[in-house]
Amino acid sequence: MLTYIFRRILILVPMALVITFLVYLGLDLTPGDAVSQMIPPDQIGNMDPAKLEALRESLGLGKPFIVRYWIWLVGVLHGQFGYSLSGGVSISQVFAERVPATLELAVTALVISTIVGSILGTISALTRGTRTDHVLTVVGMLGVSIPEFFFGLVAILIFGLKLGWLPVGGRLTPGAESFWDQVPNLVMPSLVLSIMMTAGVMRYARSSMLDALSRDFIRTARSKGIPEWRINLLHGFRVALTPVVVLIGFRLPLLMGSNVIIEQVFQWPGIGNEFIAAVRSQDYPLVMMIALFSVLTVLVASVIVDVLTAVIDPRVRLGE
Amino acid sequence: MSPQRLPRTALDRDFDRILERERTGKIKAQSQSRFWSKFVSNRLAVIGLTIFVVIVLMSVFAPLLSPYDPQKIDLRAMMLTPSAEHWFGTDRTGRDVFARVLYGGRISILVGLGSAVLSAMIGVAIGVYSGYVGGWLDAIAMRVSEIFMSFPQIILVLLLVTILGQSLGNLILIFTLTGWGGIYRMARARMLSIREEEYVQALRSFGLGRALIAYKHMLPNALGPIMVNITLSTAAFILQEAGLSFLGLGVPMSTPTWGNILNVAQDLRVLENNWWIWLPVGSVISLFVLSVNFIGDGLRDATDPSQQG
Repeated sequence: MLTYIFRRILILVPMALVITFLVYLGLDLTPGDAVSQMIPPDQIGNMDPAKLEALRESLGLGKPFIVRYWIWLVGVLHGQFGYSLSGGVSISQVFAERVPATLELAVTALVISTIVGSILGTISALTRGTRTDHVLTVVGMLGVSIPEFFFGLVAILIFGLKLGWLPVGGRLTPGAESFWDQVPNLVMPSLVLSIMMTAGVMRYARSSMLDALSRDFIRTARSKGIPEWRINLLHGFRVALTPVVVLIGFRLPLLMGSNVIIEQVFQWPGIGNEFIAAVRSQDYPLVMMIALFSVLTVLVASVIVDVLTAVIDPRVRLGE
Repeated sequence: MSPQRLPRTALDRDFDRILERERTGKIKAQSQSRFWSKFVSNRLAVIGLTIFVVIVLMSVFAPLLSPYDPQKIDLRAMMLTPSAEHWFGTDRTGRDVFARVLYGGRISILVGLGSAVLSAMIGVAIGVYSGYVGGWLDAIAMRVSEIFMSFPQIILVLLLVTILGQSLGNLILIFTLTGWGGIYRMARARMLSIREEEYVQALRSFGLGRALIAYKHMLPNALGPIMVNITLSTAAFILQEAGLSFLGLGVPMSTPTWGNILNVAQDLRVLENNWWIWLPVGSVISLFVLSVNFIGDGLRDATDPSQQG
């Protein structure tokens, strides 16, 4: 097991290195250099040009690209992400403020879509070929076809503006004291965000359940006279669920992408919202660091998924 | 002992009747391919294909369907509700929304279909050859596609938009760059399994060139999944274009596209009071993507026997 985890991480390292290299290359090609990224922009104007030049020299900006990359990489590993061009806020501070909001939204959507998707998928598989199955299939297709932001707009119009049940956007209501005061803000974005994923999980759960139900052990269970519901739930569902759990990890890139647009629609103060703002204002360092952050999140998640799969299913780690 | 003649059954008579009708030309024997008849028997796929064709034709023949110029500003006709003259009403600057949806469809479909076809061409060209031959090209393409695919798609697209700038051509280029990886991997995987077939070994023993075997003899057997992949990525690209343009970061706002029309709905006042500007176009996008997904599903069922159920 340990060898497997070790080997999996070993594959990750070169990938991460190449990606950080590309990100640094991008940063290097865009306007601005390390000095303008290290010193908050509001202070850089007051500094003596000779001093700046000396600083550039001491930072090794005259050195070859690959050396500068190494210095930058070491800095990033120590948490020095540089400064945002607009406002001069340090990027690590931006992360600290924004990431919790994004996580709150993403995890809620992940939980909702996994539960709802696997239940609907199982129902669809158990009623295979009937009207229920067909309706669920078409509903699932609608879920992946309607743009999420359009769902969001319709939801805001109906529940936010017309009925007034839920706030139209934002995360924190002024004057909110406990966590429960904030829940209404979370309801719409997380539900809208989970729609497309629910449809995906549903399709996957359906085929996985159908696959499980056609296995020999199901026939054995049936021949032993175990009631049908027990077969379906205890034997079929449990086996079918393993790949669905694995799917959560693979859905993460999709979720991080959807987040960007949904956060914008609901004015959710997360990292996706910040990313759009950075793209709009051509804030290169911030754009690059958020992109880097999202890739690394996905890479780490994929390792965790692989390790989890190996824990659940011994064939994975023994094979190859 | 002479062979005993069996009594003619009802089945024999049926068969005679079918043969007779074939002779007289009333029905054609096996004229339709199995693929097509399977596709046509899938009701949702046929509905999807119909909607798809209707929307494409309406966009192509937009000038015949609407007398209005989608760009023409008419300050005397701002924010009109739908009427006999303006079917979907007019927007903030008095432009006819119906005309904008029709003309916008041209660009949106071009971006979706164009990027899907381009990325399929690149992905298939590399995947088919490197899947069959392997070697350094395969190793490099695999690593590069892995890097591309580890980015969340929207983030990578926006990153490239920041670097390359916003334009219609750039958007297609960016979608192609970010989209070829998936189809490359699929084509490669198909080729890896086809490679083991006996006919490929036979061709090789005849001394045929690698490229000829890969593209002329193996590729046709992988076309099914490739077609499915093209339809599904068309749907994905149209959704992405709509999302990006909705944010104002896709096709420049001066060109009408489905996403650009929706852009004004970010304003809550428009959202609440001027439903005709954003609701019809949002429904058209949904309908179009739905139709493409239905076609994709129909193609999959028709080409891949293992996916039925």
